[in-house]
Amino acid sequence: MNKKTLLAIALVAAVSMVGSASAADKIRLGTEGAYAPYNFVNDDGKLAGFEIELGDALCAAIKAECEWVVNEWDSIIPNLVAGNYDAIMAGMSITDERKKTITFSDEYMPVDPSMYIAAKGTELSFDSLEGKRIGVQGATIHAAFAEEKYGKTNTIKSYEKADQTLADLMAGNLDTVLADGDYLKPIVEGSAGEIAFVGPQETIGGGIGIGMRQDQTDLHEKMNAGLAALKKSGKVDELIAKYFDGKGPFYGE
Amino acid sequence: MTELLPQWLLSWLGEDWSAVLAYITNGKHLAWYASLQYTLIAAFVGAALALLFGLMGAAMKQARLAPLRWIGNGYTTLVRGVPDVLFLLFFPLAFEQAVEWAIAQAVCTPEQLATATGWPLCADAQWYLSHAAYMTMACVSFGLVYGAFAANVIHGALQAVPKGQLEAAQAFGLSQRQVFWRIQVRQMWVYALPGLSNVWMLLLKATSLLSLLQIEDIVVWADRLGAPNYLAMVGAVHGDWRWKYYLVLFLFYILMTLLSEKGFNWLQARASRGMARAN
Repeated sequence: MNKKTLLAIALVAAVSMVGSASAADKIRLGTEGAYAPYNFVNDDGKLAGFEIELGDALCAAIKAECEWVVNEWDSIIPNLVAGNYDAIMAGMSITDERKKTITFSDEYMPVDPSMYIAAKGTELSFDSLEGKRIGVQGATIHAAFAEEKYGKTNTIKSYEKADQTLADLMAGNLDTVLADGDYLKPIVEGSAGEIAFVGPQETIGGGIGIGMRQDQTDLHEKMNAGLAALKKSGKVDELIAKYFDGKGPFYGE
Repeated sequence: MTELLPQWLLSWLGEDWSAVLAYITNGKHLAWYASLQYTLIAAFVGAALALLFGLMGAAMKQARLAPLRWIGNGYTTLVRGVPDVLFLLFFPLAFEQAVEWAIAQAVCTPEQLATATGWPLCADAQWYLSHAAYMTMACVSFGLVYGAFAANVIHGALQAVPKGQLEAAQAFGLSQRQVFWRIQVRQMWVYALPGLSNVWMLLLKATSLLSLLQIEDIVVWADRLGAPNYLAMVGAVHGDWRWKYYLVLFLFYILMTLLSEKGFNWLQARASRGMARAN
């Protein structure tokens, strides 16, 4: 590449930078868009779900202008740290492991047991699981848990998206899938008996919170104040009940 | 969308086909069709840039000045050797961080620079990449990668133009620049086009990698549409339909290939006008 083209590219970059500098006050919310009912792309092609509605309500409560950014799950923390967006709302459990790199707001969804599913009629003895293929979404609490508990004698297969674990389970390539109970419940109900819960429930990680960079103390305080107001007004409980089949209330007075 | 259609058409289609029609014209599908623009922009702008870089590279490879030749040869050797996926991942990231580093030197205070542990070096040096910026980088990346292939093709084609013609042109008093543009470049297309059509096909196929740069292209939407869904809240309930959507992408790329072949045949015929043929 010669100097002129390099200069031209730098110029384009500089111009687009000036354009985006004015938008610096906007809060950018990162989400996955592939984890119904937390966050998903609906049939209108728009982002929707529990966290999308909650995030919009939160931004209204703290009088901030917000913008959603869709990012793949496996790079959602690195891209937060790199500054592509300011906060993560993507069904992310608060864990000590994650707290090493990012910080979390107060939870907006209490801890929910993780569960196993399998194709109907599958018998699995979870006390002595051996030679089985367990599907998890990569970089999740389930991936870490399954690796630690069953990794030695079983094969843990991790996928980019949660729905890919389902697809591979139904294709017969997996014996079981470990995921959030709240994610799996509507799937088991909607599968017309094809998929069933098996084995024990596991309590892994904490509740779900908003992930932020560690130096964003201002934003952290703002988000917590906003969440507290929405919990008090009953908005959070209302949205949980709406998206999670009447669950709760958890935060009401 | 179907509510725009006249009633007689819907009743002629029947309930099932009307439902199918409504499904494939819902907002999610329309977004999929609209995302085709990114694939086409990346292909055409990328190809234009590749041609530009190819011509520059080829000119450098046959330059009189040795350093220029080294750059030209270095470019084709290095860039052709790197897988396009890697280059697409590496180049925009490296470019973004280089720009951020340059901004940081200008806007961050010395204390911030000295104590910075993370990236960017200070908050003001953050460069938010817009969609347009990612598209630009994708096009430039494609241009750079396939420009290296094009440079080799064009270099070979330039060599294929008979030396005698260049000498004859020189004898007629044409300047070096005139000989290059009017005789050598004008005639090299005949030799270059078959090779360039191969490069174009490779580039076209590589546009399926756009999602690596956070661009919501046809592959991303096909993934989203085909993913199994068991929640009525989300939309149509169906199992794993990804193969159906990938099949549509197959057909699209094959169609593009057929059209490209026709286009290149036409170009070849046009470039060959007035050329002497051996047979």
